[in-house]
Amino acid sequence: MISLASYLAISFALFVCGILVMIARKNIIAMLLGIELILNASALNFAAYTKFVNNNLDGHILSLFIIVIAAAEASVGLGIVIRFFQLRESIHIDDAATLQN
Amino acid sequence: MYLNYLANVGRYIPELLLVVLMVGLILIEATYSNDEKNKKYIFIATCIGLVATLAALIANFSAKGEAIFSNSMIIDPFSTVMKMIMVIGTFGAFYLSSFSKDIYESLKTEFIILAVGVLIGGMILASANNMLMIYLGIETLSILSYVMASLKKNDERSSEAGLKYALYGGVSSGIALFGLSHMFGVLGTIQFAGMAEMITKLDKAQIMILMPSFILFFVGIGYKIASVPFHMWAPDVYEGSPTPVTTFFAVVPKLAGISALVRVTMIFFTVQSPLRVGWIGLMMVMAALTMTVGNVSAINQKSVKRMLAYSSISHAGIMMAGLVLINQIGVRAVVFYGITYVFMTLVAFYITSIVQDKYGNDHFDRFQGLAYRYPFMAVMMTVTMFSLIGLPPLAGFVAKWNIINALLSSRYYSLAIILVLNSAVSAFYYLKIVRLMTLKTQESNETIEGFGFLNQLVVVALTAPVFVLGIFWESVMGLAEGAKIFIK
Repeated sequence: MISLASYLAISFALFVCGILVMIARKNIIAMLLGIELILNASALNFAAYTKFVNNNLDGHILSLFIIVIAAAEASVGLGIVIRFFQLRESIHIDDAATLQN
Repeated sequence: MYLNYLANVGRYIPELLLVVLMVGLILIEATYSNDEKNKKYIFIATCIGLVATLAALIANFSAKGEAIFSNSMIIDPFSTVMKMIMVIGTFGAFYLSSFSKDIYESLKTEFIILAVGVLIGGMILASANNMLMIYLGIETLSILSYVMASLKKNDERSSEAGLKYALYGGVSSGIALFGLSHMFGVLGTIQFAGMAEMITKLDKAQIMILMPSFILFFVGIGYKIASVPFHMWAPDVYEGSPTPVTTFFAVVPKLAGISALVRVTMIFFTVQSPLRVGWIGLMMVMAALTMTVGNVSAINQKSVKRMLAYSSISHAGIMMAGLVLINQIGVRAVVFYGITYVFMTLVAFYITSIVQDKYGNDHFDRFQGLAYRYPFMAVMMTVTMFSLIGLPPLAGFVAKWNIINALLSSRYYSLAIILVLNSAVSAFYYLKIVRLMTLKTQESNETIEGFGFLNQLVVVALTAPVFVLGIFWESVMGLAEGAKIFIK
């Protein structure tokens, strides 16, 4: 039997990994993956809390919504990245600096 | 159960009308895309749709607050007023887009479709009553906004704005969701009903988990209203996006975020608890920081749009100061501030956009000598700038006075003093435009095509509330007073 604490530890590790990816990586695709990690950490939390703390379906339904919305967000994000790549021929975040004076 | 759902649809007509409008616009665009009449049909359909939504909202306003769809949404006078403001802001941005040269002619329909979508998201957020609806509202608002920011497909700055918006937005809504998930774990439900009492019964360990969760949750909302330190995206996105889109961003997502923040504050923190103390402290620090950083950064800008972006950040800070009180007086002040903020923002962006269309950029120098060529427009811009500073007898003064008055009545003297000092700082950069318009000689004698008779009339009509609300503010104050929050 896996305990609630282990679920929470894993989701926290995922969350920290996501934040670290956003801070450290300069590749925009990798940054989008970082966002996915953060969203998956919260989805895991919702599912785990539903199993151990309360037994209604709220948390499970929320996890499903998170999966759908993460897909929508990733597709829009990738679309914008493709546009950016066509104009700038780069997916390095440091190349997105024309707007900072 | 099913009959209840059907009965609830009656309170949900404004949002449904917008959905119908969005689908209708897509169908019109698909049917007539190569036709000359396309633009006319789109214009008429949007006007009818938005006016019908406004009428449905007015009809909803007088009715009592009610929780619909199994308590997942609340339709109360407060959310209805906020939705009305958002619809007016969308209408303003839509009319600006119809003659602006900053959006390609072929993409104007796309702008309207996306704007209506964002408006639906804002409405969901304004009446959300559980965690799922809050998250759905934030994401509906955000995902469509990313596309809007990068609407100028072949412009590097526009795609960069969209990219930055998407990356910042994705992270901050993810962080907010992580906070929500721990809140769900501690409270055991995603519904907000009866939360104020439940919070008082928690033990110490649970409160220790809830406090950071609320801070994480604030990241998501704070990003939407561009509160410091989550404001970094705002100047870049506002400058890079086409001007009608910027106008839209300055009104709808910001007010939607503010209304969600007001509702969460009023649901969770009305009863005395350690969390309430922590939240008030967080709000005070954030409000003071947001006002100060926004105003100080605005001083040295060269682009008017960037200056207006920082000014809108500082206005969000002032609205957050009204939240510190957590009572109906504070909510009233915030609602009144929202109403005046919309009109001031719209006028400032209209004139900036028209000047920018003529010269191709929005540097301060482009306003030189505007008073000699278009005295009427220069007067309108001056009035708006004075109102944004908060000079009597204009609307901005009454709005700021309300918030200061509310702060003083609850003895938050330090925050009131910071607010007044910030108004003094803001005079510096708002008056810069007035000085350039009147005291500098004009660059050229060219006519600006955007200032045709009809557009001047629209600008005057938008400035009129700034005057009227400054003098006859009691009636609107009655409206804001009636905007009671219903909690269930």
